[in-house]
Amino acid sequence: MRKEPVMNKYFNSYSEDHKGWLKVQNWFIDKLSDTEGALIPIRPENAQKWPKAEKDYQLFMENASRLMIRFKKPEHLIKMIVNTIDEQLGITHTAVLLYKEDKNAFILIDSKGEGGVKIPVGFVRMTFDNPLVKIFDKRKNYLVSENGVLTYEELTALLQNKETLAKHEDLTELIELTLRQMELFKANICLPLYYKKNLIGVLVLGDKLSKEKFTRQEIGFFMTLANDAAMAISNAQLIQSLQDRIEEIKDLYTKEHRVFIHTAIALATAIDARDPYTHGHTERVTAYCMAVADELEGIPEAQAYRNFKETLHIAALLHDVGKIGIPDLILNKKGKLTKKEFEKIKEHPVIGAAILTPIRELGDVVKEIKYHQERYDGKGYPEGLKESQIPLVARIIAACDAFDAITSDRPYRQRKMAEVALQELRDGAGKQFDPIVVSAFLLAFEKGKIWNNKK
Amino acid sequence: MTKILIVDDEMDICDFVKHFFEERNYRVFTALSSAEGLRLLRREKPRIVLLDVKMAGTDGIETLKKIRDFDKDVTVIMVTAVDDHLSMEQAEKLGAARYITKPLVLEELEAAVLSYAKGTGDE
Repeated sequence: MRKEPVMNKYFNSYSEDHKGWLKVQNWFIDKLSDTEGALIPIRPENAQKWPKAEKDYQLFMENASRLMIRFKKPEHLIKMIVNTIDEQLGITHTAVLLYKEDKNAFILIDSKGEGGVKIPVGFVRMTFDNPLVKIFDKRKNYLVSENGVLTYEELTALLQNKETLAKHEDLTELIELTLRQMELFKANICLPLYYKKNLIGVLVLGDKLSKEKFTRQEIGFFMTLANDAAMAISNAQLIQSLQDRIEEIKDLYTKEHRVFIHTAIALATAIDARDPYTHGHTERVTAYCMAVADELEGIPEAQAYRNFKETLHIAALLHDVGKIGIPDLILNKKGKLTKKEFEKIKEHPVIGAAILTPIRELGDVVKEIKYHQERYDGKGYPEGLKESQIPLVARIIAACDAFDAITSDRPYRQRKMAEVALQELRDGAGKQFDPIVVSAFLLAFEKGKIWNNKK
Repeated sequence: MTKILIVDDEMDICDFVKHFFEERNYRVFTALSSAEGLRLLRREKPRIVLLDVKMAGTDGIETLKKIRDFDKDVTVIMVTAVDDHLSMEQAEKLGAARYITKPLVLEELEAAVLSYAKGTGDE
């Protein structure tokens, strides 16, 4: 007997009523969720016999199905099934063969039984010319019993049935070959594991230790277990291959994404380079934005973004792309701009959006760039949006952009100290700037995350 | 009764193959190591040796060399999970009768042993 001291506590309180049985099952399910692959057979410790009542079977099956879903690794599930059958029914030996694509054969992946009878794991295979596999794979239903299993006893009996033998060509030979296979595996019963229409495995069961025959109910139980197991195994395999695929895509994405970000940085640098006064502006604004993002990422508006920080990062890098369309003369002008010149400057968010719209990968980033000069009170440009009409990322860029402009030298004035700039943000909260963004900015500043390297 | 010697460092495999062939009326000896295998080979003079290639300590190829040092004729069937051509070639040069790759087909193992036991194997 296996020793599971913790389980005993529960199992000893196991009673014959269904609640007790359920309790055990639930405990097991809970246990399983934190120790996936706890290869403990489903059984009450002090119940010597398999539950005899029909409803006990049903209950068992329901619970077994429930916990099968928990297994992420097919091997663990199979071990659990083999252990359960072995311990509950007392069989000389059990073995599970699963189809392996790379070997194009069914490989024995788990087994139980006494020394000498137990077939070693990984030692044998069944190929598609194995009559057992052939029968299950080709669904030669007249050979399998009504439950869908092959039993040695029934096949032997069938050899005496001249009428049936006459109906199918080569049937005698097929039965004889099948019986020989079952002898090789010392199998009393063989069950197919199907998933959808495909044979994915074969379950081999030896004799009962008690030498009794298997009951119809037991065979029915095996078949149900096999069906559920096949589903769970396939699901586990599916999940595995999905995970592999996700990893692959992640890799690809990381690579492409890096290229993409670098392209954005290169573009931003090119914009910055045109304007000696704003040199490093994009880089700083991006850094400020990310610092503010750390403070704001928990708010619902930020969480509504599919990827808030990434959108902000890219939008910040590209927010001034539209300046490409502004003549150098205006951009680098010393002294105050005329109204007309200022009108030209004001076009840069729209120009930026127009430049970037064809890049499908940018998605929502484009509108953030378009609106980064809007004001919270609706007096900004290009559309005069206000408050939550302006997307959050654009509101963050607006504040960070202004802070950097104030703390940087401009052709027409000397840069101001950070404290002065902070005061301007405070004063502008609710007017030019979103008050939430301003408080996040102040918080980030206090934490030392806003740092102008020109100072 | 034909004598078979199984040399494999996996207890489960030794037990299973021993049981399998005993049921088919062979006299079976098992060894979990090369040294034990060579000792049994000298003492029992089996007709057929089922030899695992990948074993801890002295492997199957080394063991086969040692077998050939004093017995040129015994039938050696290599049973292994290693499906590499190099050891297959080496085993062939050393006069191994056959090479069976795990996971194996049971009836092939049975048929191979049977053919050499009857002396109808392609020796």
